[in-house]
Amino acid sequence: MAATLWDTTGGDIIAALLAERRTAGALASGLALTLVIVVDERRVGEAEEAATIAAAAHPCRVLIVVRHSIDADVRLDAEVQVGGRLGATEAVIMRMYGRLSLHAESVVLPLLAPDAPVVAWWHGPPPIEIATDALGVLANRRITDCALAPDPVAALRQRATDFVPGDTDLAWTRATPWRSLLASAFDGLDNRPGEATVKAEAGNPSAALLAGWLTCRLGVPVSGEDSPGPGITSVALQTTDEAGEDYKIALDRPSGITATLHRGSEDPRSLPLPRRGYGDLLAEELRRMDTDPVYAEALSMATGSSVNEQPRSRVLIWRDPAVVAP
Amino acid sequence: MTAEIVGSHNPLRDPRDRRLPRVPGPCAVVVFGVTGDLARKKLIPAIYDLANRGLLPPGFVLLGFARRDWTVGDFESLARESAQQHCRTEFKTEVWARVAASLKFLPGSFDDDAAFDALHHELDDMCHSHGIKGNAAFYLSIPPPAFPTVLKQMERTGMADNEKAGGWRRVVVEKPFGHDLSSARELNSLVDDVFTADDVFRIDHYLGKETVQNLLALRFANTLFEPIWNSHYVDSVQITMAEDVGIGGRAAFYDAAGAARDVLQNHLLQLLALTAMEEPVSFDAEAIRTEKVKVLNAISLPDDLEHYAIRGQYDQGWLAGARAPAYLDEANIPAGSTTETYAAVRLGIETRRWAGVPFYLRTGKRLPRRVTEIAVLFTTAPHLPFDATDTVELGQNQLVVRVQPDEGVTLRFGSKVPGSAMEVRDVSMDFLYGEAFTESSPEAYERLILDVLIGDATLFPRNLEVDASWKVIDRLEEFWANGQPEKYRAGEWGPRGADEMLARDGRVWRRP
Repeated sequence: MAATLWDTTGGDIIAALLAERRTAGALASGLALTLVIVVDERRVGEAEEAATIAAAAHPCRVLIVVRHSIDADVRLDAEVQVGGRLGATEAVIMRMYGRLSLHAESVVLPLLAPDAPVVAWWHGPPPIEIATDALGVLANRRITDCALAPDPVAALRQRATDFVPGDTDLAWTRATPWRSLLASAFDGLDNRPGEATVKAEAGNPSAALLAGWLTCRLGVPVSGEDSPGPGITSVALQTTDEAGEDYKIALDRPSGITATLHRGSEDPRSLPLPRRGYGDLLAEELRRMDTDPVYAEALSMATGSSVNEQPRSRVLIWRDPAVVAP
Repeated sequence: MTAEIVGSHNPLRDPRDRRLPRVPGPCAVVVFGVTGDLARKKLIPAIYDLANRGLLPPGFVLLGFARRDWTVGDFESLARESAQQHCRTEFKTEVWARVAASLKFLPGSFDDDAAFDALHHELDDMCHSHGIKGNAAFYLSIPPPAFPTVLKQMERTGMADNEKAGGWRRVVVEKPFGHDLSSARELNSLVDDVFTADDVFRIDHYLGKETVQNLLALRFANTLFEPIWNSHYVDSVQITMAEDVGIGGRAAFYDAAGAARDVLQNHLLQLLALTAMEEPVSFDAEAIRTEKVKVLNAISLPDDLEHYAIRGQYDQGWLAGARAPAYLDEANIPAGSTTETYAAVRLGIETRRWAGVPFYLRTGKRLPRRVTEIAVLFTTAPHLPFDATDTVELGQNQLVVRVQPDEGVTLRFGSKVPGSAMEVRDVSMDFLYGEAFTESSPEAYERLILDVLIGDATLFPRNLEVDASWKVIDRLEEFWANGQPEKYRAGEWGPRGADEMLARDGRVWRRP
């Protein structure tokens, strides 16, 4: 169920995909979306693995775009996979060389599943301005990953500046299990929140977003502290219960696998809070195609810059890297 | 009812925040009969799966109650084994450690006052030690004859009382909900005496299946189907639940019940109700259940029951390449038993929407394959501008909702056969729900347990529905009382009478 095409054209890829779908008998499968993954050669394996896991939960067509140096000769290689190596999904892995890399959308556009939403995921440092990447402009949902940027905190700030509703970041996705446990720990209490502390590895963007979220929701100061990690290691919340007594809620995860929840005078409880792989993170992202206003608020609070939440679409900004800016 | 999410004042919860899962508030689940089959194969694995998906609250206790001289360690090893064997998601030790830490076990028989007093105190203690806030769901995974004893114990100790407990107290009852109308009413009044009606959750695990819920989405979220969902366009409806297995180890229960009480009364009539009901005014539990009751009350049986209520019993035969014994030769079945293992019936629904549309329901054991589906068969086009010979292979348009296995929807319609001649033949357009979404589609029990803990009663039949369906079944049972079920060979699609029943109406059963 696979075809490899060397030095090919977009038209041949379409024909190969159709042929593979026919032989795989998948002509009437329920495609819910197209996932476009922009990735470097060295992370292709990781991206494929993640797409396989995510596609098992959300039937989708996966288009992996690997851009090589624009100085090379123009050339397109492609691999078409239907129900093969990448599980029950249909995937096209495209390697683009030379100036074709700047026009990846010319190959991708005709391969999008008809009338289904398009999700773009940059598995690597996020683009500075998404509007300069045509693949980001045509996508309905855009997923970046600030944790892969050389300076994650600066990258997060750039995401806030460049924000358009429909953008999300995996740093936010990584905070979901923490947010879920904290929200559950608050269930059934009628406490007034006091100050909070988030401890994490230095420069962890998820911790910044988590702190931003807590500030938005609780309206209290949240301080950050550095710890050896991995990732976020603890959240402590000082509250006052109905009787006016101090009541502490703390969630500690020193190992990156199991967390311990302390709540007032209750017995401490250990709860699984493992760090998730890319596949699970991506699957969570693909669950919803609408905008995430809670993320926008947390991002704005975390970076201290106002985020434009007006729904709007990006317009492609053409920037030729070969032409040095005057 | 859905609004009853615990902690709505919780500042960390926000309706726009769709990433945070629906997690119930702190609570305990008390399982009576925790060593039984259902608990081991379904409940405990479902609890594990919920924990693995992060859907259990931090304040959670699973308390087992059974007549075993056990410690919590014994219970843990049983629970671990059953979770490992039957869980749907991956078994992870760190998740298990979390579930294991919330396990408790209380030994005792159901008539032991001291054991129930201990349970009562344990629940109070756990408010402090585990922060369960007095919330508890009682799962009666026990044979119906034991219900009264257990319920009376709960009434005596006051552990079923929401106010005394300081939280919610709910009870989960498994089918069978009685064996006829009067016994069902007796059971209902017994349960309703002890618990308030809103706190009683009757589990019909079919309603927890994704495709059944998808049926509501299909009908009420689309414009395409609802306009033709009536007697103008629908010719007939066939609802089938076929099993390839025999009666397994349930001889005593099955021989007393039979196919009509075991399957028709609950699963098939619930599927019929969801297929035929009017659009609910909103998607909350009360509105949906109101519409279901209306349809169930509008069901009519044909006058000519002899021709339209068929029952059968399997004889020996071959199934899936192996020899299958006759029902009467199964272990522990009394000689000369007249219990049916197959039932087929034609029902009508006396409403403006459905007047004159027959609903054919059938269920059976030892049929060729395991399948549950709802097939809506449409009328043929009033005029065909083709030569008669062009359309000989054109059947009725069909919309088939496959509940299990390979959940999905099939639309069958006529299409031109490629070639120079005009020839129209049926083709199928398939939407595979199961294949594409298996990873994220939870097991029915998982969903239903979660709903109980959250307090969402949408997927649970209420007692008026149970009453209405028994009224239908009682009439059938009365008619069948002194007759003999027709024999069918194991491995064929039911007795000849069932085929004749449709032939009499000029129709045939769809082969699922």
